[in-house]
Amino acid sequence: MLDVNIYKSEDQSAWCPGCYNFAILKAVRQALASLDIAPHQVMFSSGIGQAPKLPHYLKCNLFNGLHGRTLPVATGIKLANHGLQVIAEGGDGDGYAEGGNHFVHAMRRNPGITYLVHDNQIYGLTKGQTSPTSEKGLVTGTTPFGNYNAPEHPLALAIAAECSFAARGFAGDSDHLAELIAQAIKHPGFALVDILQPCVTFNKLNTFQWYKDRVYQLEPEYDPADRQKAFARALEWGERIPLGIIYKKDRLPLENLLPQLKPGPLIKQSIGMEKRKELAGQFR
Amino acid sequence: MSKQIKLWQGNEACAEGAMYAGCDFFGGYPITPSTEVAEILASLLPKAGGKFIQMEDEIAGIGTILGAAAAGAKSMTSTSGPGFSLMMELLGYGCMAEIPCVIVNVQRAGPSTGLPTKGAQADVMQTRWGTHGDHPTIALCPSSIEESFKLTVKAFNLAEKFRMPVILLLDEFIGHMREKMEVPRPGELEIYNHPRPKVDPKEYQHYADGSSVGGPYAAMGSGYRFNITGLTHDKHGFPTARLDEIQWKMDRLRDKIDRHLAELTEVEEEFLDDAEIVIFSYGAAARSSQQAVRQSRAKGIKAGLLRPTTIWPFPDRIVTDVLKKCRTMLVAEISQGQLVYEVERCNKSSTPVVPVLRYDGEMITPAQILKAVEEAQK
Repeated sequence: MLDVNIYKSEDQSAWCPGCYNFAILKAVRQALASLDIAPHQVMFSSGIGQAPKLPHYLKCNLFNGLHGRTLPVATGIKLANHGLQVIAEGGDGDGYAEGGNHFVHAMRRNPGITYLVHDNQIYGLTKGQTSPTSEKGLVTGTTPFGNYNAPEHPLALAIAAECSFAARGFAGDSDHLAELIAQAIKHPGFALVDILQPCVTFNKLNTFQWYKDRVYQLEPEYDPADRQKAFARALEWGERIPLGIIYKKDRLPLENLLPQLKPGPLIKQSIGMEKRKELAGQFR
Repeated sequence: MSKQIKLWQGNEACAEGAMYAGCDFFGGYPITPSTEVAEILASLLPKAGGKFIQMEDEIAGIGTILGAAAAGAKSMTSTSGPGFSLMMELLGYGCMAEIPCVIVNVQRAGPSTGLPTKGAQADVMQTRWGTHGDHPTIALCPSSIEESFKLTVKAFNLAEKFRMPVILLLDEFIGHMREKMEVPRPGELEIYNHPRPKVDPKEYQHYADGSSVGGPYAAMGSGYRFNITGLTHDKHGFPTARLDEIQWKMDRLRDKIDRHLAELTEVEEEFLDDAEIVIFSYGAAARSSQQAVRQSRAKGIKAGLLRPTTIWPFPDRIVTDVLKKCRTMLVAEISQGQLVYEVERCNKSSTPVVPVLRYDGEMITPAQILKAVEEAQK
C-alpha cells in the first residue's frame, strides 16, 4: 500500500465547490495506492468535459486528448506499451455520446484498459445540456420543454458489446468506489466502471438524495458470470439501482492475442530491421 | 409599429436571424463558445413549429441538417473549431450534393482544443479549404450584433439560391459581445426561398442545366424522384464515370461562384476615397480597425477601412483596385495571418502589404492597429 499523497498534484481544480468529482478523485488515488501502482507506472487517457480534468489533478502521466477520442488513444498506448497501467477517464457525454462509436468497438476488442465514466446525466462543461443518460423529461438548456429521449443503459450496452468487466459505482460512496476501481484495474481485459455522480450545479433532478434513495449493493451471492442475469441488473433503473460488478467474463485481452507482443511490450523490442531487409529481399 | 430595440449578443442575434429567415430545423451539439445559438433555438424553434435536436456529436449534427434540408427544411447547425473540424467531411458532401443549409462557426482560438473561451479568426482558410477536393465556398463574416442577425438571414438566402452550405463565420468576440440593435420588421429584409419545379415528375432532373443558381429544385418526398450522392453524378444524381459528365459537374460547382462574383462580393468601405493607408479587416478585428481609422483621421493621417462582409469568395477585384490607389495596406487579423495571403495574391502593384496580428486569445486593440498605421505613415 503506497501513500495516497504521492498522487497529489499542485494543479488547482476548476470544478465547482461541492462537485462529486472530488470524491471520485479521492477514490482513484485510493485504488492506485492500494495496488502499489506508482505514478510513473500509470498512464491516463482522457477526453473533454469536467470528468476528463481529473487526471490533471493527479500526479501521473496524462494524454488529455479530444472530446470522445479517449479510447482509441488508450488502445494505442496499451498496444505500444502493455507494461503500463492504462486508465481512460471521461464523462457520459464524452464517452457515450461523442465517443459512443469507440466505446462499442473498444469493448469488442478488449484491450487491458480501465475505463472510468463519471455519469452525472448532464453536460457540465458546456453548462447544462442533455446527455445520453439524461432522464426522460429532464429540463436542460437544449431541452427546455423536457428531454424527449429515452436514456441509454451503458452497462447493458457494455454487456451486449462483449465487455469483459462491467461495474457501477457511486461517487457518494467513495470507499466502495475505490474498491471497484481497484478490481477494475486488476481485471486483465477492458473494464468499465460507470460512476453515478450528482451534478450539484446543473442536474437538479438526480441529486445525492435521489441516488442515495435508490442505490443498493449487489448481494454477496450474485454471480456476475451469468450474462442473462447481468442484463436484468444492468437494466434495473428506477426505484432501485444496483452497485457493484454486474458482469464479468474471462476473455484474453487484446494485447495477449497478438503474437508480436508475446516477447514483451512493443516499444521494448528491437525494431527488427534485419527481418525487414529479409522481407524486402523477397521482392528483389 | 414601434421600433423593437434589443440588447443582444452575437450568438443571440444569429439565432434570432435564423428564426427571421424561416429556419425550421436545427441539429447540433453543445460547444463553447457557440452553445447559446443552439440553446436559444432549442427554445424558439419548437414554439414556432420548428424542430431542434441535440445530436450525439457534430458529425451527427451536420448529418441531420443535410437530411432535413434534402427533405425540404431550412436547416442550420452551429459549432466552434473542434466541431467544425469534425463537420468537414459532410460539408464537402453538402457542396457535392448541392444541399442548402447554414453552418455557423463561432471561432475560438486553436489549434486543437486551444482556448475554448477565447476568440480568434484562424478558421478562415479551413472554411475555404477544410473539406477535401475542389469545391465552392460561400462564407460571411459579421462585425457587429446587427450584422450577425442580417448576415444569418443572408446566409439562408444564399444557401437557397446557390443550393449549397453557406458558412457564417462568427468569432467569440462578436458571439459573446452585447450591443444594441434594431430588430428588422417582418418583410423588411428579403427572404429568398428557392423555386420548386413545375415540370412533369417524369421529366424532372435534380441537377438540370440552369438549376445550379436560382433555378428550381425539389425536396425529397415531394413527388419528384431523384437520387443524391457524394459520388460524382449526372443530372439525375446517379453516379457517373463518364468524362464529359464529370467535367460538367465540376464546372457546374465552380461556376456557381465564378459566374456570380459581382452578386456575391460585398464589402463595406470607410474613408477610402482619399485614403493613403488602408486597413483590410473583417469580423471582430474590423471593429478595432474602424476605431483606429477614426483615431488616425483625428491625427490627420489619411487612413481608410476596407471590410469584406463576404470573405469567400474573396473580393479579388476590389482589393486589387484599392491596392493600386493606396500607399500601404495593413491587414488586421486575429490569427497568425490568413487573409493577408489573399491580399498579397491580389496585389498587382508594388504596394506594401503589412500584417497586423494578434493571436493570444485576446481582442486586437485599436492602439495596436493605430501604432501600425503610424509606422506606415513614417
